[in-house]
Amino acid sequence: MASREKELSKLTQTSDPPGGQLAQVAERVTYPFRHGEPPKPQTPTGFYTDTTVCIGCKACEVACKQWNQLPSDGFEWSGNSYDNTTELSASTWRHVKFIEQFADLPSGNGVSLNTTPGESILNRWLMMSDHCKHCLAAPCNQACPTGAIIHNEFENVYIQADICNGCSCCVAACPFGVITRSDMGGHSHKCTLCYDRQRDGLEPACAKACPTQSIHFGPIDEIRENARKRVEELHRRGVPQAYLYGDAASETYSEMHSFYLLVDRPSVYGLPDEPFNPWLHMMGDYARSIVGGLAAIVALFIALFLLRP
Amino acid sequence: MHASTTSQHALTQPRLPGEVKEVGYESMTVTKVPDWYGMIAWDALLNGMATGLFMAAAVSELAAPAVFKPVAKVAYPVALVLLLVDLTMLVFDLGDPLRFHHMLRVFKPYSPMSVGTWCLTIFSLPLTAAAGLSVLALLGFDFEWARILAVIAALPFGFGSAAYKGVLLSTNAQPGWKDARWLGGYLTNSALLMGCGELLVLSAVMGNTQATDILRTAFIVLLLLNLIPLGLLFANLQLAHARLYTPAQQWRVGLLLFATGVLIPLSLTLLSGGLVFIFVAIIFLLLASWSIRFVYIKIPHTSPLALRSG
Repeated sequence: MASREKELSKLTQTSDPPGGQLAQVAERVTYPFRHGEPPKPQTPTGFYTDTTVCIGCKACEVACKQWNQLPSDGFEWSGNSYDNTTELSASTWRHVKFIEQFADLPSGNGVSLNTTPGESILNRWLMMSDHCKHCLAAPCNQACPTGAIIHNEFENVYIQADICNGCSCCVAACPFGVITRSDMGGHSHKCTLCYDRQRDGLEPACAKACPTQSIHFGPIDEIRENARKRVEELHRRGVPQAYLYGDAASETYSEMHSFYLLVDRPSVYGLPDEPFNPWLHMMGDYARSIVGGLAAIVALFIALFLLRP
Repeated sequence: MHASTTSQHALTQPRLPGEVKEVGYESMTVTKVPDWYGMIAWDALLNGMATGLFMAAAVSELAAPAVFKPVAKVAYPVALVLLLVDLTMLVFDLGDPLRFHHMLRVFKPYSPMSVGTWCLTIFSLPLTAAAGLSVLALLGFDFEWARILAVIAALPFGFGSAAYKGVLLSTNAQPGWKDARWLGGYLTNSALLMGCGELLVLSAVMGNTQATDILRTAFIVLLLLNLIPLGLLFANLQLAHARLYTPAQQWRVGLLLFATGVLIPLSLTLLSGGLVFIFVAIIFLLLASWSIRFVYIKIPHTSPLALRSG
């Protein structure tokens, strides 16, 4: 993406500001302060990823890279099953994870067979296409000091690349490790839920490419209903472990507009077992900060007042 | 085929078969570490030094103007210089420093960085006025009322500039940082302590014995008071430290920091009010203050752990 951006930036655009260095500097300084009209709210949309039908083909990764013109990350054997993508990053917005759960593996190596005593051990692959969770109360959005991160008209978490200044607050805030800062350009990037495609009435590239319908896209209420029906169906078909992750708010975290159907503990998939929104602590932290400072000021004032001649 | 996945940034060499250790994702740290390294430790120190010096000087001048006015007039320009160095570091720590002004396009009260940016920006204006008027006063052009007005106007924003930093570094999802409930309390308290120490050095350099004697006592009080938030912060981070360091390492570092940051400055200040003693005491205090900030900033960068609680 970055190399393509560089190529495009050299072309003269009809929207280019008037020439002259002073005009360009003035434009650069004033541009971020001009706020346009926000678009009309649309039906909230999101992803529901059914991991039970994922076959690990990585078509979603490829489609995402292709549509969003994201550069290759190079290639290295990670040694972790077929996962050589290794993680989400500023240039990788989809990441297919592979978990091998086989009885002949040595125990205590992070494998959870999620079985009760007497239950037969499953020899199985778990695969999951990971991406931004598009949280309703997104810590990255709360942290962003520039207003670059917004909830767009589809209630998806979106980074305005022309506003982000690379402060990395969103990186520190995300409990899922989704956002990173790009080495090229220095700005944060992540899944946009194909905002451009959605505006044109198209579904995101990954959902379009998924050959097994593991990735469902649509109005959030609709896909949530479908996901719950799917869980019930799986329970009837002898998969009692199936459950939804992130479809509803918990005491410590909001609902997510990208949620998952899982059949093992979240941590097995590299997700936090109990996601926690750091902002739940913020008011208390401010209070302690103020108390700490005021105590020192009062102590200093009293000492000076008592000791003055 | 079965091995752990390490961070992409850390993966520099192809893995050899003998290096196979773990399977899956369960032992991996979920969160990504921001590129906040040593510069942020320096920023946290300079922020405390600048805001602390200003607040200590302002409180001293307002409490006993007859004694502290001369030293306060020197302290404000010094605080401004420290603040400018700090702000420069903050700008250069951005991924795109030329977009630093984008911070000012919105005000988000629930973003500690936004609160901090606005506090620092507003604080810098009356501080510049106070510093400028102080220099003019030293040159013989004294606008006393305007200077005092600028100092009073800067006080709440100076306090805000000191108070936001700890909240910024504790309101996030990073292993260790997210548990540091008393970081803000410690950093704000520490800012006043360092500021009092700096003011003490300035008064000693200026030969203001009356101010030096009073500030020595105040410094000792603040030094002992600072142990409370520091102890609470240490208790917050006990779990993170226990997972990162052995008990022996924790004791060694803890004792070293206690000796450097408390015992030596306390002993030297009690021993004598001479310039050399005071100067060395404050140098030790600043060294310990920087070390504490550096150790804290380092936690998620060095974590080999799977702190997987979101």
